[in-house]
Amino acid sequence: MIQPQTYLNVADNSGARKLMCIRIIGASNRRYAHIGDVIVAVIKEAIPNTPLERSEVIRAVIVRTCKELKRKNGTIIRYDDNAAVVIDQEGNPKGTRVFGAIPRELRQLNFTKIVSLAPEVL
Amino acid sequence: MLSALRSRSSSLLKSPPSSSLLDQSWKKLLALSASNPPSFSSSSSAARDVSEVLSVPEVEKILSDVKADNVIVIPTENQSCWADVTIIATGRSDWHLKNIAQALVYKAKQKQRGEKHVMLPCVQGYDTKWIVIDYGKFVVHALDEKARVYFNLESLWTGEPASANDNSDKDLQNAFVKVRPINNSKKKNPAKLSS
Repeated sequence: MIQPQTYLNVADNSGARKLMCIRIIGASNRRYAHIGDVIVAVIKEAIPNTPLERSEVIRAVIVRTCKELKRKNGTIIRYDDNAAVVIDQEGNPKGTRVFGAIPRELRQLNFTKIVSLAPEVL
Repeated sequence: MLSALRSRSSSLLKSPPSSSLLDQSWKKLLALSASNPPSFSSSSSAARDVSEVLSVPEVEKILSDVKADNVIVIPTENQSCWADVTIIATGRSDWHLKNIAQALVYKAKQKQRGEKHVMLPCVQGYDTKWIVIDYGKFVVHALDEKARVYFNLESLWTGEPASANDNSDKDLQNAFVKVRPINNSKKKNPAKLSS
């Protein structure tokens, strides 16, 4: 359940540390974003000497949420944190590696690039 | 009407081989889904069918036909639960990358000509430097030369994280050395004292 003003961790090595969601892409009046949704976000905290800087507006894909994710076979997945991966306008990830576990729903939502960079797929 | 229905049902009954085949395929699917419970039922089964259409050697042949450079086939059965084989290829330009993807889709289409349900691989990232062609069981990555160097997928999948870690450590150490401020206050005082 990510909405504007939500802070997210960054799950890749792009250089950003903390993001704040400012808009959910996909519908005009949508309340919440879930795993696999693209959001517009502001970088609130960044590692120094990296291409991404503080207060830059970027796009990101949500990869982990505290709100549980239900599957059709009854499995429920919920993570400890809200995390996103920074992407560019074309959908390519900005970083070269993704950290932490990632759900396999991202593959069906056409983010195979992120899944192929991840160390663990749930 | 009834007679027509009866004839239809009888015709269905009269064709045991097809129905038995269907049953077997369903049983196989069920067994597969039971063996790995976290996998998705509908989409993954569809993906499996696509991967049965084209085999890995055939894909390699197509890639050599379209003159993709530096083709690497990495078996990733043990490392990842979502793809058995990862194939990485380099394209010379955006057009070349697009052609690689189109060739792979076209061959799959051509091989299933005349069938009722044509299964096509999922292509992601047309008109970008990194195109992913997802066949379900195996995934083909077609990358630009620069993108290939940048993402370095080989080192990720061939299990050589040590070199990458070393580099990052070096970078980190360099960063810390640069960031650390020079303390001038202590240096000047002994000089003054000596003078």
